[in-house]
Amino acid sequence: MSDFALELHGLTKRYGEFTAVQDFSLAVPKGSIYGFLGPNGAGKTTTLRMVLDIVEPSSGSMTILGAPSALHVREKIGYLPEEKGLYKKMKAWGTIAYFASLKGMSRKAAKARAYELLERYGLADFADSRIEALSKGMSQKVQVLASIAHSPEFVILDEPFSGLDPVNQQVMEEVIRDMASEGATILFSTHVMAHAERICDRIVLLAQGKKIFDGTIAEAKETMPTRVVLDADVDASALQKLPGVIAVEPHVVDGLERGWEILLSEDAEPERLLQECFSSGIALRAYDHRPPTLHDVFVHLVGDDAREAKKR
Amino acid sequence: MRNALLVASREYVDNARTKGFWIGILVLPIILVISVQVPRFLEKNATPTRNYILVDHSKNLESVVQKTMDDAYQLQVIEELATYASEHMMLPQGTNMPDLESVPAGGIAGMLQEFMNANPEVVEQFIAAGGLSTALNAMEGLLKEDAPEFEAPRRKFQQVSLPSGVASTLQGRELADALTPWLKGDRTLDGERAGEDLFALIEIPADVLGEGKVQYWAVNLADSDLRKKVERSLNQEVRRLEYEKRGMDSGAVREVERASIGLTSLDPRKEAGEEEVSLADEIRQYAPIGFVYFLWIAIMQVASMLLNNTIEEKSNRIIEVLLSSVTAWELMAGKLLGIAGIGLTLVTAWILSMLGILWYFGGQGTEITTQLLDVVLGHGLLPAFAVYFVLGYFLYASIFLAIGSICNTLKESQNFMGPIMMIMMVPLLTMMFIPKDPNGTLATFLSWVPIYTPFVMMNRAAADPPLRDLIGTTVLLIVTNIGMLWLCGRIFRTGILRTGQPPKFRELFRWLRSSA
Repeated sequence: MSDFALELHGLTKRYGEFTAVQDFSLAVPKGSIYGFLGPNGAGKTTTLRMVLDIVEPSSGSMTILGAPSALHVREKIGYLPEEKGLYKKMKAWGTIAYFASLKGMSRKAAKARAYELLERYGLADFADSRIEALSKGMSQKVQVLASIAHSPEFVILDEPFSGLDPVNQQVMEEVIRDMASEGATILFSTHVMAHAERICDRIVLLAQGKKIFDGTIAEAKETMPTRVVLDADVDASALQKLPGVIAVEPHVVDGLERGWEILLSEDAEPERLLQECFSSGIALRAYDHRPPTLHDVFVHLVGDDAREAKKR
Repeated sequence: MRNALLVASREYVDNARTKGFWIGILVLPIILVISVQVPRFLEKNATPTRNYILVDHSKNLESVVQKTMDDAYQLQVIEELATYASEHMMLPQGTNMPDLESVPAGGIAGMLQEFMNANPEVVEQFIAAGGLSTALNAMEGLLKEDAPEFEAPRRKFQQVSLPSGVASTLQGRELADALTPWLKGDRTLDGERAGEDLFALIEIPADVLGEGKVQYWAVNLADSDLRKKVERSLNQEVRRLEYEKRGMDSGAVREVERASIGLTSLDPRKEAGEEEVSLADEIRQYAPIGFVYFLWIAIMQVASMLLNNTIEEKSNRIIEVLLSSVTAWELMAGKLLGIAGIGLTLVTAWILSMLGILWYFGGQGTEITTQLLDVVLGHGLLPAFAVYFVLGYFLYASIFLAIGSICNTLKESQNFMGPIMMIMMVPLLTMMFIPKDPNGTLATFLSWVPIYTPFVMMNRAAADPPLRDLIGTTVLLIVTNIGMLWLCGRIFRTGILRTGQPPKFRELFRWLRSSA
């Protein structure tokens, strides 16, 4: 058996002239939590649909849990689609049990499992409510539970956090960690970097149908130059002259300029810059050096692409 | 297969819980009851008594018209009495309801008519014997305990006298002008019929037997019953006078006029001694129309359910989760089977409630119901109905499913449904004609058009269509079904995940060709 839950080789999807995903390769190790990141329209959902064999790729191949198609191992896979919807007239437990039984669980076991999950994630009181009577957040939780009720080995979640309030976003993170601790492999897409940063082992970044980064979060951050934010009554040219400075840009917080953002060359030390400021007589009001967040990396890598939708 | 069955059972349970399903189950029996009861009610209550004024300047004819009206009323009483007796009288021990096989074609009304022809004096005899009160006395003791009081019917026509202030010597237009406020309904009658409207004025001129014409003045020209009645009665009298003038015995003439021959419908296919066409035969001939109607409504209703919930799944995006668990074929098969179950439940409920209604209105126990059942069930109509329902359902359901899969909203689907509804109207338009020539050109031709086969063959079911048609069309229908399932399956698989505009026909064609 391979050590990978999923391997994609040169997956490509074209719709007529339009190439949604181009030559995409990926290997997801078993038991890992893999973040699938990218701006809107990058091709994330199309890729996930190809992985599930809902959409057929134009070219390329894959191995999923040792099988050539997800349909062969569908009872081992859980899937939460991006657009959430359930049968309005069905009860919460019935919904979970139905999807679990479609994945091969016996009806009795599926029912017991539905009640167990609803209890575990704080929906016990709503188990017998119809979906139409639940709030949006609650019904989304039900859908998440429905997608994992059969204890899949491999879980694919498309934008699991969208539409959830902060508390339920935390519950969602909890669900993902619980599944991972039970040994499941998780691949989830998001464009909210904070979640990915907190729970992912590895991330893959997709923009305009192409993979632009694949690795651990630490590796992702290393692609960024060191950044320092400082606030002082000087203009950019004075800072530009300091040793190790590559670029100086206004630092914008909530639409207001709050000092300067300085990018340093790879070998430059942030502490050194502080010293240089003192010795050049620049009076600092604020000085902040912190490692980049995944958000920064994301903006850095795909910022321009994401702003402007281009026809490929 | 397991997955298809899971999908099917969910579809069944989910749809069986909808209001639409229960309304569908209840509406048809309610319509049946209403369609039986409302005409009966309207006949009794809707048309008010028609009041008329008769001014007879010839002085001889007024009594003739009056007698015709009285006789007509007595006949009304007799009919009402007969209905009352059949509903509320206990049958003497050992007597059975008339057997439908022995009731001649035309039914009870036909029997009464025949009886009247054979016994023209019935009204006179009835009056002579003491009329209504004697009849009611005779019935006493024979009535069931819960029988209601007999209600004498209202007169259909009632002669009233001229309103005070209108001289009976007026003639023609002057008379009509004087009565116009009443005829137009601006003024109402007083006296015995106070508050009611005047319906018509009939003026018989003095020289009616010469050049004069009877004038019939009325605002309502649509209801010509009174006019016809008066006309017939006057003509009869004029003829009687004419016979007398020529020295003929008017009594003998009357007898001659009533002479008639009997005419019996016979069917050569029936056994010797039983060839007479009975009411049962007639019901058998027309019963398929009812089944065609059931078939049409049932197929339309459940196929629309399929359309709606496919569009719902598509617009909800549930479809994606489903397709990560089941294949498109399994999903389609499950939906078709689940809704087929709903359809079967629906028609079973209809047939049971129809039998219930028959039983309830059958009155005296279950005898007549059993007979009707024999007629309806005896000729293989029910198995035919089941077969044509299933085949017709799968044909139309797969079409509707394909339409549902390519549309995102019901509104979009209406573009496709318009033409399909037009095509589907044909069996409804022809269903009344086909029993008249069940093996004729039109019926045979339509039977061989697969989309019409279920309805038209059902329509012909009682007329022993040739074996060639029976087997040939069924085989063709099954082949069409398989082809349609395959075709619609392809459209379904591609369409179900698609968003945005429904595809053009050219694009659909491409989907069908692509092996993907």
